[in-house]
Amino acid sequence: MWRFLGTRIAMGALTIWITTILVTLLIHAVPGDPVQIMYAQSQGTTPEQIEEVRRSLGLDRPIPVQYAMFIERLLHGDLGNTIRGGQPVLDVIMQRLPNTLILACAAMFIAVLIGVPIGFLAAYREGSVVDISLMVLAIAGISMPHFWLGLMLLFFFALELGWLPVSGSGPLNLILPALTLGLSNAAIFARLTRSSMIDVMSQDYVQTAFAKGLPKALVLRRHVLRAGLLPVVTMMGLQFAFMMGGAIVVENIFSWNGVGRMAVEAIFQRDYPIIQGFILTFSVVVVTVAIAIDALYAVLDPRIRRA
Amino acid sequence: MKLRRNSLRRLAGAAGIVAGLTSSAAAGDIVWARYGDIDSLDPHRATSTLSLQVWSLLYDTLLATDADGLPVPHFAKSWTSNEEGTEYTFSLQDGVMCHDGTPLDANDVKYTIDAAFSEETPSVTKGSWGPITSAEVIDPLTIKLTLEKPFVAMIPFLADSFSSIICDSNGDGFGTTTAIGSGPWKLVSWTKGDKIVLEKNPDYKNFGKLAENPGAPHEDGLIITVVPEPQARLAALKTGEVHIAEPPFDDVPSIKDSGELDIIVAENTGQNVFWEFAVHRPPFNDKRARLAVAHATDAAAAISLIYGDLSVQENCPVSRGVFGNDQDFCAQYRPGYDPEKSKALLAELGYSMDKPLETALLVWTGGNRQKLGEVFQAQLAEVGIKASIEIMDIGSLNARVRQENETTTGTTGSMDMMTWSWYDPDILYALWHTPGAYRGYTSPELDAMLDETRVLTDPDARKAKVQEVFKYLLENAIHVPLYTPGWEWVFAVRPEVDGFFVAPFVYPNFSDVKLGG
Repeated sequence: MWRFLGTRIAMGALTIWITTILVTLLIHAVPGDPVQIMYAQSQGTTPEQIEEVRRSLGLDRPIPVQYAMFIERLLHGDLGNTIRGGQPVLDVIMQRLPNTLILACAAMFIAVLIGVPIGFLAAYREGSVVDISLMVLAIAGISMPHFWLGLMLLFFFALELGWLPVSGSGPLNLILPALTLGLSNAAIFARLTRSSMIDVMSQDYVQTAFAKGLPKALVLRRHVLRAGLLPVVTMMGLQFAFMMGGAIVVENIFSWNGVGRMAVEAIFQRDYPIIQGFILTFSVVVVTVAIAIDALYAVLDPRIRRA
Repeated sequence: MKLRRNSLRRLAGAAGIVAGLTSSAAAGDIVWARYGDIDSLDPHRATSTLSLQVWSLLYDTLLATDADGLPVPHFAKSWTSNEEGTEYTFSLQDGVMCHDGTPLDANDVKYTIDAAFSEETPSVTKGSWGPITSAEVIDPLTIKLTLEKPFVAMIPFLADSFSSIICDSNGDGFGTTTAIGSGPWKLVSWTKGDKIVLEKNPDYKNFGKLAENPGAPHEDGLIITVVPEPQARLAALKTGEVHIAEPPFDDVPSIKDSGELDIIVAENTGQNVFWEFAVHRPPFNDKRARLAVAHATDAAAAISLIYGDLSVQENCPVSRGVFGNDQDFCAQYRPGYDPEKSKALLAELGYSMDKPLETALLVWTGGNRQKLGEVFQAQLAEVGIKASIEIMDIGSLNARVRQENETTTGTTGSMDMMTWSWYDPDILYALWHTPGAYRGYTSPELDAMLDETRVLTDPDARKAKVQEVFKYLLENAIHVPLYTPGWEWVFAVRPEVDGFFVAPFVYPNFSDVKLGG
């Protein structure tokens, strides 16, 4: 077990490091100079003065040197300052990261809470009207784009009924964004759970359990559900990363103050330090979640635990 | 009967709980929603309009801007200058207080200017302050600025929020978590990316800024919140969560028809949307090709179609509200809509309907500009110009325009719908003086004229020189003005809001605002 985790952590660290290199190369490949953007449209500064600002920000140095500077700061716990506004990147990210994590966790909770039972029911009633209806509903959910669903929920619950706020980052503001993210992902979980459960129920050991005369509820709970959840747990890890990224659209619609929206703005502004900081943070979170999922996977499946 | 009463009580209780949890603003708080956040609380660290608007609420400036966009006394009640234009002495108002209770005086002005020119962290707007070599405190209410050489654009700069006076009592956290100024509003908190909470400055005195109210704001608080999605802003306006916000453009007509919200359009914004061209290769290295595009463009019709009455055609290279702007003067030289003349010019160049002039048409995303681009594309097609629209974010547009200007080979042209905003015609120096903001058109003749616009201290003489620059840019189709305003200039206001208006250069005013029942 510890060897298993140790290997995963080492691989995770390597992944994060490679990610920082790739991101540094990629963001500089995107056309557009951050200082030029900062001055565009609203400034009467000469090109010479723009170059002076670029020098003061270190942007005139070769990319490898800039990357080395980034790593050096990182080792001191410093992610640098934003190009626009000179704000400490770490502060900017840490003020928003909790919001994105809360949103992703809430959405995951909704997705699992709704999706797994629906999938289980559909599997149990395979081939019936219930099964077909639920899967059609799931397909509709998967097909529904976040921005459309988000706006529909917003207009219905906030504008028409007046039950929830339109925008902001308070507790009540969480409900609609989480529903938007969660419902579409619930559909994915429903379909996955259904196919997984159907597969498990066709296994010999399940047939044996039934043949032994065990109660149906006991067989389903102990033998089918637990085994069938293995791919669902795996999907949870993948979908969590997706939710972290997919939150960008939802954060934008509901004005949820998360890191996704911050990252999009930073990309448009070519604010390299924020982009690097965001990708680093995102990598850490995703790798951490992946390791946690692997550990949970090991708990659920004894064969992996012994590996 | 009893059941009904219990149900009603529960419903009322639940509604109260929801209302209490939902409302983050107190009864006396104005809520203003915008598409984005500020970059910094430090006026030396950023240049965005979103930042400027907030600084104008937190800080004072030496001068202020009147309704016509001209500088007038404010914290500086008067000023004198020497004949050469290298020394300016400002006399300051007495009794102005910083938010922390310390007096605002010449030392704060010096502190602000010294910070702008510091060696380690100079202001990103250092160049716009001008060639200031010293800021000398003569006495607490008198400060003298010395310039290396004349720079008349400094005076209008001192009226803009880029020159916000920072109280020297600011310490750790300045620009990030604290901002001590002397403006009508005091900072309570800034949650980055989310909202800025302000409270009224009860000691505020207004001397020159546009406002009916000479003192402290009427309302207790102002919350500036970030709502990127236009439809969400509209919904928040309708529910009452937000009092003032920019609505989706496509909804403006229906909003006006319903009368549910008031629509306020900013004027004298200084925003200029214009055609510019890649002039270092064919076809736009030829003046006739540029003129052909200009004559093919019916800006008034396109703007009316896409924006209705929210925007108007602009005739000058700097827009209404900026010194030197004169629609009648510029109309004489601006190549107007004349498709026949356009076709004739194209024919001279060897183009025809069967052999069209080909060019890329670069457009910045947002603000329905892509729709406008399509209208222009159709207009150009009518005379034999085949324009391929490419829509991109502002960052890519800036990079692309420069790249196109630095490309000297090939026969497919490049033109773009560029947008700039500034309070003074000195912006033309940045755009067109060698080497040029985008390495586009430059010439020694134009450079000489632009140099003079910076040193002529007599307003009439300067205006004449500025307009000479206009004439040159227009006649040669270097800078073809299209329309003004161009972005973030429409405000939807709830009916209970009274007294809201937008000052020149898109500075919303909240001191006069009263929230009715």
